Amino acid sequence: MENYLPVTEPLFILAIVVVTALAFDFTNGFHDTANAMATSIATGALRPKIAVALSAVLNLVGAFLSIEVALTVSNKVVAIQGENGAPVPELMGTPILTIVFAGLVGGILWNLATWLLGLPSSSSHALFGGLIGAAIASLGLGGVKWDGVASSVIIPAVAAPVVAGLVAAVGTKVIYALVAKVPEERRDRSFRWGQIGSASLVSLAHGTNDAQKTMGVITLALIAYGSWTNVEAIPFWVKAACALAIASGTYTGGWRVIRTLGKGLVEIHSPQGMAAEASSAAIILSSSHLGMALSTTHVATGSILGTGLGKKGAEVRWAVAGRMAVAWVITLPAAAVVGALCWALANALGGTLGVSVVFLILLVSAGAIFRHSRKTAVTANNVNHEWQGGLAPAADVAARQTVNA
Amino acid sequence: MDIVTKALDALWQVALAGVLLGAGLPALFALGVRSLNTNRVVAVGGGDATSVPSAAGRAGAVLCFTVCALAVLFGIVVIVFGKQLFGG
Repeated sequence: MENYLPVTEPLFILAIVVVTALAFDFTNGFHDTANAMATSIATGALRPKIAVALSAVLNLVGAFLSIEVALTVSNKVVAIQGENGAPVPELMGTPILTIVFAGLVGGILWNLATWLLGLPSSSSHALFGGLIGAAIASLGLGGVKWDGVASSVIIPAVAAPVVAGLVAAVGTKVIYALVAKVPEERRDRSFRWGQIGSASLVSLAHGTNDAQKTMGVITLALIAYGSWTNVEAIPFWVKAACALAIASGTYTGGWRVIRTLGKGLVEIHSPQGMAAEASSAAIILSSSHLGMALSTTHVATGSILGTGLGKKGAEVRWAVAGRMAVAWVITLPAAAVVGALCWALANALGGTLGVSVVFLILLVSAGAIFRHSRKTAVTANNVNHEWQGGLAPAADVAARQTVNA
Repeated sequence: MDIVTKALDALWQVALAGVLLGAGLPALFALGVRSLNTNRVVAVGGGDATSVPSAAGRAGAVLCFTVCALAVLFGIVVIVFGKQLFGG
């Protein structure tokens, strides 16, 4: 069938990889809007639409600000690149493109599945998982850098929520002690400003950290294809495309995850919201400069949990926290399984056909997940409805039961 | 084992920076809010709702909020130029 294509096989696969990478970047954006904005939306510091718009703009700016070359991101966990980040010579062309493609599909499908369940989960873990699965399927266990998995995935995942929770709990305790005598209404009004400032910083940091990952993946694909050779720089169009993808994803607002983080985990008041976002911002920024990049999602969730623990009488819903913990543990293996299956299928069918079929499966699955999500749609209008034991806003549940009766 | 030692080493620094900046700055902000609301001046005939911050209270608050704002600017500098400043 290759004869009928106006392009060569590697170019066709490259195009699919780029589109898939941008789609991953988009899911990365809407999955993570909650990390920065859930608390501001929950306390009413920002109206939902304004919050996601602000976060989107800051992600866009952040993505352009990133100057680090991110070829190292995938190089931490899978052995498909040499020391300078360039692909291993024997994998140049279709082999590495197929591995990266399968990994991205694993990451996207896991991001969509957790979004459907309203669970925050790390997009980096999803991407790492997908790549690890695809690498194992194609290269065997030796295709994975297990040291890197321990130091860049497992240890940070355990550490992040603990450190973030601790910092946010301390911050919350101190804040409430200091403003104990301030009337509640005046107190909350002031802290809403603090919330907006700290949440903005988290959004900006997210844009720089996360958009970079996709830029790195696309650049890697370009090098594997042979149209880019510089391992020290990223083509401008890649930067611009990734910035736009993550920003538009952010603007779409993963309302389901926002609802879980803002309303489900802890009932949040503005001082807690500021404590949580300030803790997140400080930890994300300091960790990425101390050589231990922590997942924005793990940090933000830990901070919100901590702010619930730090305030006397605040309700922390451990059942929700438990579901998140389970999702975190299975993120990497689940994405890895999908990544491995996609690679196996693409490889079995071979070349253009294999990649096309997997891409089609991705489109169909994404469509099915989206359709399913409409049954309990969470939108800007009902994201703040009272939490009554589940993601679906109460009014909607009642309406559905009436229909079914 | 080396990985764990290295991780713990980075971790306590992250925790320290987190407590200083992530908990310290909100605390400073809280101090500003408190200052804004201590010894408020109540207008003649008005209730608490019409009260305004005292001059000293306002000055203290401005100081606290300014330091917080500077810290945010510092954060932005770290985001943009961090790798040059602190190495990767």
